[in-house]
Amino acid sequence: MMGGVVLQIDFFAWLQGIPSWLYGVIQWIFGIVSGIFYWIWGIFTWIWAAVFDVANFFFLIRAILFPGLVFILMTIIFAVWFTRKLWGRIQDRRGPFHLGKYGGLQLFADAIKLVAKETIIPDKARRWMYRFLPSMLLLVVLIPFAFIPWDPIWFIADLSVSLVLVFAFLTAVPVVALLSGWISGSKYTLIGGFRAANNQFASEIPLIISTIGPAMLAGSLSVMAITQAQSNIWFIFLLPINVATFLVAAIASVGTFPFDAPVADSEVIFGWRTEFSGIYFTLTYFAEFAEQALYSALIVALFLGGFQGPAFLPGSVIFIIKFLIVFFFFVVVTSSFHRLRQDQIVYFCWKYLLPLSILNVVLVMLGIANIPALQAILGIGG
Amino acid sequence: MSPDILDETTEIWFGPQHVSAHGWAAKLTLVGDFVVECDPNAGYFHRSAEKCLEFRNFRQGALIMERLCMLEAFLAEYPYVQAVEKIAGLEVPERAKVMRTIMMEASRIHSLQFWWGQFSAELGLFAMLLWPWVDREFFLDAFEELSGSRHAVSYSTPGGVKYDFNDKVLEKLDIAIARFEDRMPVMRDMLMGSPTFRARTEGIGQYTLKQGLKFGLSGPPIKACGLPMDLRKDAPDPNLAYDMIDWEVPVTESEEHPGESDAYDRMVQRFREMETSVEIIRKLLPLVPEGPIVDPKARGKSNRLPEGEAYGRVEGTRGISTLWLKTTEKAQTPYRAKIRGPCFNSYYSLKHLVPGAKFADFIVVFGSLDPYPGWWDR
Amino acid sequence: MSEDTPISGATFGRQIVNKFPDVECTPKEDGILECIVPADKIRDVVGMIDEEIADAFPESVFGVDLQEDKFEVIYIFWSRTNRTQYHLRVSLEGSNPEVDTISDIFPGMEWHERETWEMFGINFKDHPDLRLLLLPEELEGKYPLRKSFVTDRSRLKEADRTPPKPKPTEGGASE
Repeated sequence: MMGGVVLQIDFFAWLQGIPSWLYGVIQWIFGIVSGIFYWIWGIFTWIWAAVFDVANFFFLIRAILFPGLVFILMTIIFAVWFTRKLWGRIQDRRGPFHLGKYGGLQLFADAIKLVAKETIIPDKARRWMYRFLPSMLLLVVLIPFAFIPWDPIWFIADLSVSLVLVFAFLTAVPVVALLSGWISGSKYTLIGGFRAANNQFASEIPLIISTIGPAMLAGSLSVMAITQAQSNIWFIFLLPINVATFLVAAIASVGTFPFDAPVADSEVIFGWRTEFSGIYFTLTYFAEFAEQALYSALIVALFLGGFQGPAFLPGSVIFIIKFLIVFFFFVVVTSSFHRLRQDQIVYFCWKYLLPLSILNVVLVMLGIANIPALQAILGIGG
Repeated sequence: MSPDILDETTEIWFGPQHVSAHGWAAKLTLVGDFVVECDPNAGYFHRSAEKCLEFRNFRQGALIMERLCMLEAFLAEYPYVQAVEKIAGLEVPERAKVMRTIMMEASRIHSLQFWWGQFSAELGLFAMLLWPWVDREFFLDAFEELSGSRHAVSYSTPGGVKYDFNDKVLEKLDIAIARFEDRMPVMRDMLMGSPTFRARTEGIGQYTLKQGLKFGLSGPPIKACGLPMDLRKDAPDPNLAYDMIDWEVPVTESEEHPGESDAYDRMVQRFREMETSVEIIRKLLPLVPEGPIVDPKARGKSNRLPEGEAYGRVEGTRGISTLWLKTTEKAQTPYRAKIRGPCFNSYYSLKHLVPGAKFADFIVVFGSLDPYPGWWDR
Repeated sequence: MSEDTPISGATFGRQIVNKFPDVECTPKEDGILECIVPADKIRDVVGMIDEEIADAFPESVFGVDLQEDKFEVIYIFWSRTNRTQYHLRVSLEGSNPEVDTISDIFPGMEWHERETWEMFGINFKDHPDLRLLLLPEELEGKYPLRKSFVTDRSRLKEADRTPPKPKPTEGGASE
């Protein structure tokens, strides 16, 4: 026979193969469909397990409800109301009083008004960044709240380096402020942005060095561990100077009175926030109060024993009471001094706060090494 | 974003939409954080008061004058009244003289309280903004009781005053002054004892006495240099009652830099001004004689004035404010009236005082001179 | 400065007249020394005030429109030591009169001269900064404080503004 391949089709065999081919196709489709189905089912079961698994369920409640988002937002709203009311009292006026009991609903009314306002974006602004940065700012300020131990059980996260993480996030705040001053396309916002950076430049080093004392006494960088280490004695009694330096540096870092050069209204209108309007202004304004609340909570956790206190009260209640007292001091300090100039802020922070905080670190080192009674109180091994 | 932001010098407009630039604007040239050039601009409030005065008769004119500076309405309207009285040769009853003087000093206190609150707010302490402003309300209550209006009082009129004192006015005035005296030491300590306040004001906007005189500064900015230049004492007006009592012109002489004044000295000086005013009121209140409050012939005499020129001057809160008046024969309206507001010169002097200061200190220099836009825009 | 012996207005007037014979000085009541100064001598007289009187205080410079192209510029100084006001009067003629500036001797007069220029059209020679001070740009060169300046509604057309509607004359308690 000649070479070559003669294609021969066995027609009947082909005909017989059709049903099994069809069966295969159907099976293939069924496989896909059921795969998708099982995948979705798997997601459902996973979520189900995640939510109704005891540990996971409580984590979710913590993250969303109690020490988490809702609680923090309510705290900040309360902080705004508290600040305004207290400022009003100090300034010989009534503060908000129209809406709700003692004006408690005033902030909601303000928020609705601000959100409903027209959003004006200047021609020279970078639109995308202009929209993005305010929410970024609030996000950066809200995340560190996860590491605050509001309660021995009801806390969100406890990392071994949470103290460092808190400051890592807070360092981003003036960067966002500088950026939003830059992209707003106005000279006043740019000046305000640089002033915000200047504030952080002045205050950050004393602020962070002030936290070294408690960390060394507790032998840990976890905020939770530092709080627990104060079961015998609160660190405010061991480190009174440190509390003062931390409080002042915290006020300077937030950039409120008397260190409010970044948003000094008589000099640079509203600093880096000048061009923000409506919802963007609300977010930045909110972020400032969130930062104040965060620093107050940090002071409670680091120096005032956190949730430790009389046994008949739940830990969270003790923490909140202490938080209110510290926040009260915050407000009183911010309403009793004239504004300092930017160079005076740097001078003040570096000339007074920095040596004091460094001195404290040295004293703590010597104390831990040489005083056995201190080691006994703190429960740390020599 | 405009590329000139990073150029070597930056021009920045301070006003007129700036929150602390209420009706004025200064063009600042910045190098880094320092102001190298300041060009104050006027005219945002210009209402052409001088032209308006040419169309009002001699009793209406005072109403325009007091609208130049509502804060010192009693003082602002006085130069016009004085000039009219000089040309018309009007006699002012004794009672009106004393009452005028008392109200002018009350006006001075309340104007200084306003300034002090504003200056504190410019320096970022809002508690000190509202404390004096609350006290100020009590003076306004007394003014309201007296004239029916809190600011536009229209009190002095050629030949006397328009409204008589009654028990309620005196009572309210007494309440206001008692409250002022009560709270003054506390606030004084809060300001002068405050290290942050001293840090912001000492050495800011400093000038020598000679410079101040050349710029045409008067009132507290000059008295803070140590020169007791005060028209109440130097050029006593027969139609006011300043020579009826003993009082001293307050001056401030700084120990660190005698013969010069900075923002802090001007602050101290204004506190002394308020104390002096309280002293004058306290001494004058028992001396109010009985009698008519306005010369009965004044209305007829001030309808048509003889030809003449007169120069009315008064030591206002912010400095010397004057009015030069020229009338023609049997005129119903002035031929020419020239108003000299004290703040015209103090605002101008920013051009010389600000360069070299930091940008943040610009508003301190401005606030310490206490300029009021109505005085320069007129 | 208070140690200086006061010079009375009459004495200082004689000193001025001795130095510049074409100046007329008459002391008046209220401690006013009135000097009628020719336009070209104003810098000399003001310079003399600056040198002789330590606390000379520049109060005011302003113009007066005497109509028919006659103007008067009045300079007012005050000396606390001497308790004297110095009123220097300069008569000018012409539709665009000129006089020397004194703003380099007394910087405080700079804005007063600027205002006089924009309101009366009196030009101050060598003034460093003759710009509009108070007036809006549309009134540049109109010199509103001159008597010839009309202030009725015909101005509106000039300034490109629509006149307001006339008030209803009948009925209602609008007046």
